[in-house]
Amino acid sequence: MDTIATILSSVLAPGPFLAMIGSSILGVFIGALPGLNPVMAIALLLPLTYSMDPLVALAMVAGIYNGSMYGGAIPAILLRIPGTPAAIATTFDGYPMAQKGEAARALKIACWSSAIGGTASALALITVGPLLARATLAFGPAEYFWIAVFGMASVGVLVGNDAVKGLMAAVFGLLLGTVGLDQLSGVPRYTFGQTWLLSGLDLIVILVGLYAMPPVLSLAEKADLSGLSSRDLKLEAVRVPWSEIKSIIPTWIRSSLIGIGVGILPGAGGNVAAFLSYNAAKNASDDPKSFGKGNPNGVAAAECGNNADNAASMIPALALGIPGNVVAALVLGALLIHGLQPGPQLFHQNPQLVGGFMVEMLLTSLIILVVGGAAATRVFAQVQRLPGVLLVPSVLVLMTVGVYVINGRVVDLWIMFAAGACGYFLEKMSVPLAPIVLGLILGPMAEQNIRRALLISRGDVTELVTRPISATIAVATLALIVWPIATAILRRRKAAREPANTAPQDRTTP
Amino acid sequence: MTAQWQDMLLGAAFAVTGAAAAFKAAAYPGASGGYPMVLGLMLAGLGALVSLKAVKAGETAERPLTENTPRMVLTLVCGALYLALVPVLGFYTASALVVLALPVVLGFRRPVYLGAVTIVFIGIVWSVFSLLLEKPLPAEIWMRF
Repeated sequence: MDTIATILSSVLAPGPFLAMIGSSILGVFIGALPGLNPVMAIALLLPLTYSMDPLVALAMVAGIYNGSMYGGAIPAILLRIPGTPAAIATTFDGYPMAQKGEAARALKIACWSSAIGGTASALALITVGPLLARATLAFGPAEYFWIAVFGMASVGVLVGNDAVKGLMAAVFGLLLGTVGLDQLSGVPRYTFGQTWLLSGLDLIVILVGLYAMPPVLSLAEKADLSGLSSRDLKLEAVRVPWSEIKSIIPTWIRSSLIGIGVGILPGAGGNVAAFLSYNAAKNASDDPKSFGKGNPNGVAAAECGNNADNAASMIPALALGIPGNVVAALVLGALLIHGLQPGPQLFHQNPQLVGGFMVEMLLTSLIILVVGGAAATRVFAQVQRLPGVLLVPSVLVLMTVGVYVINGRVVDLWIMFAAGACGYFLEKMSVPLAPIVLGLILGPMAEQNIRRALLISRGDVTELVTRPISATIAVATLALIVWPIATAILRRRKAAREPANTAPQDRTTP
Repeated sequence: MTAQWQDMLLGAAFAVTGAAAAFKAAAYPGASGGYPMVLGLMLAGLGALVSLKAVKAGETAERPLTENTPRMVLTLVCGALYLALVPVLGFYTASALVVLALPVVLGFRRPVYLGAVTIVFIGIVWSVFSLLLEKPLPAEIWMRF
């Protein structure tokens, strides 16, 4: 009880509380601007959090994340342009509602659905996270090593369309993580005589480059010179009747559960949760044909599903050190820059901080109800009058100042720039960026634990796979890597067999 | 360039990087070299696999690397120039220049609007980073004399 009271008093202190409100508003703005996304915003925010109290920094991450996931619905409903990838499913029914003159009603339903999905997800994080962390108390170095490998393998295999490219990206990230002084022996690795490389590649510098630069280049390529006219952004306040709310409640419950489930799985994101929730709502509906033509349940399902993914993706990130998506990886980055190692020990060593972050995820979901009201949404919609071309240098300047203030080194700016340009082309060639970041984060954890495990076992490699828990995680990792390869081979064989089977029949036909 | 060629070159680049990393790691003493060497070899193997898959896939469709190459290149050049100018002109001077110049390069032709946005934006950045957070940034050229 004492811990809960301490957590609540620290979260509701002026610093974190104001950070939650401010960042939720900022998040809705960011989400409402097509081209900007929560990942980019959090990547830009991280360098600023160095000098902040960790609870204030995490409050800002939570606010931007939850706020921008709702903000993405604003252009999705008004213009059929999803503000974030997770808002694609919102366009299906949101835009038809706007065309029928029901934009304000659609936005209100989206706002409530986002808040409900986010709240359910935060409650899942608060209840499941500590239980999972407690279950991992028996873990030793061998288990931690396999957890790191499992995390990278799952994100490498599940993110993107090509498992081999995903794994290649993960290994590349691990290799980047070895640059600098070896933490156990003090030997410099891949430093090429450069003293600035002795401390390794700064995670935040790479993160900002990889996640902020590609959207900047895409915005520049599109070169939106005019923005939107005020005529397109007219909204009138409406009331949603209780009978309609009652009809949406089952959709909210179903979509929340789907979003939470998807969030816990590494590799899947808010867009997957939104699509699955939308399809589930359509299948459960008495009138599935009305979906895609302006059914409020479609908007509710998509928005509730994508927000229910938010906090749930933090469950494996905080309890095991395995991020469920890129934002969770950024949260791990935020913890690392404050000297906190994500994983089971975090719950035991810093219960107030972890608990505080969970409560912040919950409160920022509820704040959306206030900042996402009709009047506020009318204001947020106005940001779309800003020509996209003006955002290009603005984000570039924010990236530069954010990276420079970390170490005060110009060389970091060039690393960021190179990482960003590489990230842009790698994405175009279907190489996912998340495994690279994850490799950088989990690499040192994997190396330290495997070497510690081998020191304890006096070099006996079998120790890594003979303990029951480590053996289970090792088998799960192997299955995760082998499964997509095996299914691909089987599918190819089946496809090769099918024409052979059909060939004789073809010959008999005139 | 086709997706096949892109993947062949991509795989080859990662394979070479991995092999070079493994070769370099071989010179590190004891356990310091073992871990990066294994990673280097894995990267080389996976890179080779990507190339091999591309070769086996046969001729594929074009996969554009850019949506608009001139604008992308111009943005990269302006970005690089900006980073080069930051230590020379100072952070705020270089930033004001890029906020003014890059939209013009990309085709924006509303000078009053652009000027107002530049002043407001640089003002916000200055208020947050210099006034509120007191972060040391590269000094302005006109403050050095």
